[in-house]
Amino acid sequence: MTFDASTALYIIEIVIGGLLVGIGVHFVPVGGAPAAMAQATGVGTGTVQLAAGSGLTGLLSAGLMMSVTDNIILIVVSGAVGAMIMIDATMIVGNWAYIYGVGVPPSSGKVDYDPITKDPQPPYVSPGTVGHGIPTVSYVSGTIGGLLGGAGGSLIYYALMNINHNPGLSGMFAIGIFVVNAVLASYNIQGTIEGFHDPKFKRVPAAFQACLAASLVIGIIAVLITGGA
Amino acid sequence: MDMVSMGLLAAMGALATVAGASEDIESDVGSQSNPNSQVQLAAQVGHPHRIYNKAVSGEPPSNALYAALAAVTASVLMSGFGMSAFFAIATGAVVAAIFDGIYSVTAYMGRNTSQARFNQYVYLDILRTHTPTIMAHAYITAFCIVSISYIMTASWLPIQHPFPMPLVAFIWGLAIGAIGSSTGDIHYGAEREFQSYPFGAGLNAADSGDIVTKAEAGLRNSIDNAWFCAKYGGPITGMAFGLTVFLDNWRATIFDPATQGGLVILTGIVIVILFNVYNRILETRARKRYGPYPEYVGDIKA
Repeated sequence: MTFDASTALYIIEIVIGGLLVGIGVHFVPVGGAPAAMAQATGVGTGTVQLAAGSGLTGLLSAGLMMSVTDNIILIVVSGAVGAMIMIDATMIVGNWAYIYGVGVPPSSGKVDYDPITKDPQPPYVSPGTVGHGIPTVSYVSGTIGGLLGGAGGSLIYYALMNINHNPGLSGMFAIGIFVVNAVLASYNIQGTIEGFHDPKFKRVPAAFQACLAASLVIGIIAVLITGGA
Repeated sequence: MDMVSMGLLAAMGALATVAGASEDIESDVGSQSNPNSQVQLAAQVGHPHRIYNKAVSGEPPSNALYAALAAVTASVLMSGFGMSAFFAIATGAVVAAIFDGIYSVTAYMGRNTSQARFNQYVYLDILRTHTPTIMAHAYITAFCIVSISYIMTASWLPIQHPFPMPLVAFIWGLAIGAIGSSTGDIHYGAEREFQSYPFGAGLNAADSGDIVTKAEAGLRNSIDNAWFCAKYGGPITGMAFGLTVFLDNWRATIFDPATQGGLVILTGIVIVILFNVYNRILETRARKRYGPYPEYVGDIKA
């Protein structure tokens, strides 16, 4: 392959995609293991697990779209929507489990009032826990997380596809770059986050710097390897 | 949209629903994923148990591995040996189940022997009865996921996804693990493990590790847990994965992505908005029905 302006553009697209993933992970409300025992607000799984599950479902949608069009907006938005559908379905059913299976109302342990609905939170937090379920603010935040993660993964895939035109290879590398950025962001979160209203969300600039550096290095390597250099 | 595509889409939705349910029950029988923290802790706080303990890894990586293994095996058998898709997928799922069995046994023996100082035994009858149950559920999950991936990628079928079949299976395996660990596990971790506590509250942090170890008769084992979770946790996990697979592909089936790409996206956005509205309704109804906790003594009014 030859290194020209378009190659640089693809690397920039991969970096932007990586940053979208890294920032998007901060929006995903995850309570980790405590949430599975209704001890913490958010989805009862790990940050990387849920972000990867939704972002890569979006990648499937983007891959299908890219097989019929070259329009970058359609591809990226398609990936974002696919990821949002997955994470929304998961959060709804998660709330079913909390409300009907465990008998707890969704409530946040980090804020007194839901920033969107203004509903009071502490009276609905069961004793000895820091909230449970997915209240509206966390749900909306998770949807935004899915949007950013899905868009980021799709943008990385779009860039790689333009270099090597091999869906399998591009898909595999896109998954790799996605997971690297998701893991970096998850170190920043340290296990649990309720969404954009959580005080931990203020740590986003640190993740931005880390994901920028990581995506740049991986972007160059991915372009060189998948481009056949 | 043609009738064949709609039929295949319905089949994919049904397969996904079955896969989701079996994935959740597989993790419940083995106590994999997040509720495993309590099973692991139980012996250390004085509650040795007969619960299967196999935290191989998080559910998404393990299910992605099993699905990809099954899909690679099926793919090789179909392309290299000309085997029919049905038998190739079934054989692939057997390979995935065997790997799951190996990981489960080593995880159970490793974890329980390391807790010998807390009087936690390795029960050979639990290994003998539970491991085939775990493998059977892993077989169903792998079979359904590879079938979905095959429908999405087979060259003679109308849905033509550009990714190779193993990659599609890998992604669906990751997604089903993420969904299983986010939905059905709550029913196991927050309700079944702590059934001795009143219904309607999260686990008080002070009670961590105090899992129920006795059953209606004798000591509780993980098949008792699967029996309970199969009534609610498993089916809702199936619904979550079924909804994901169905809705994601439905919008690309009723509209042609090549000529109606905008409509495909617009349908997806409408679905997302409806989900958000429904969640708000769900939250409001739950709060109204359950009311605030009587123990709450703060200043903020409900």
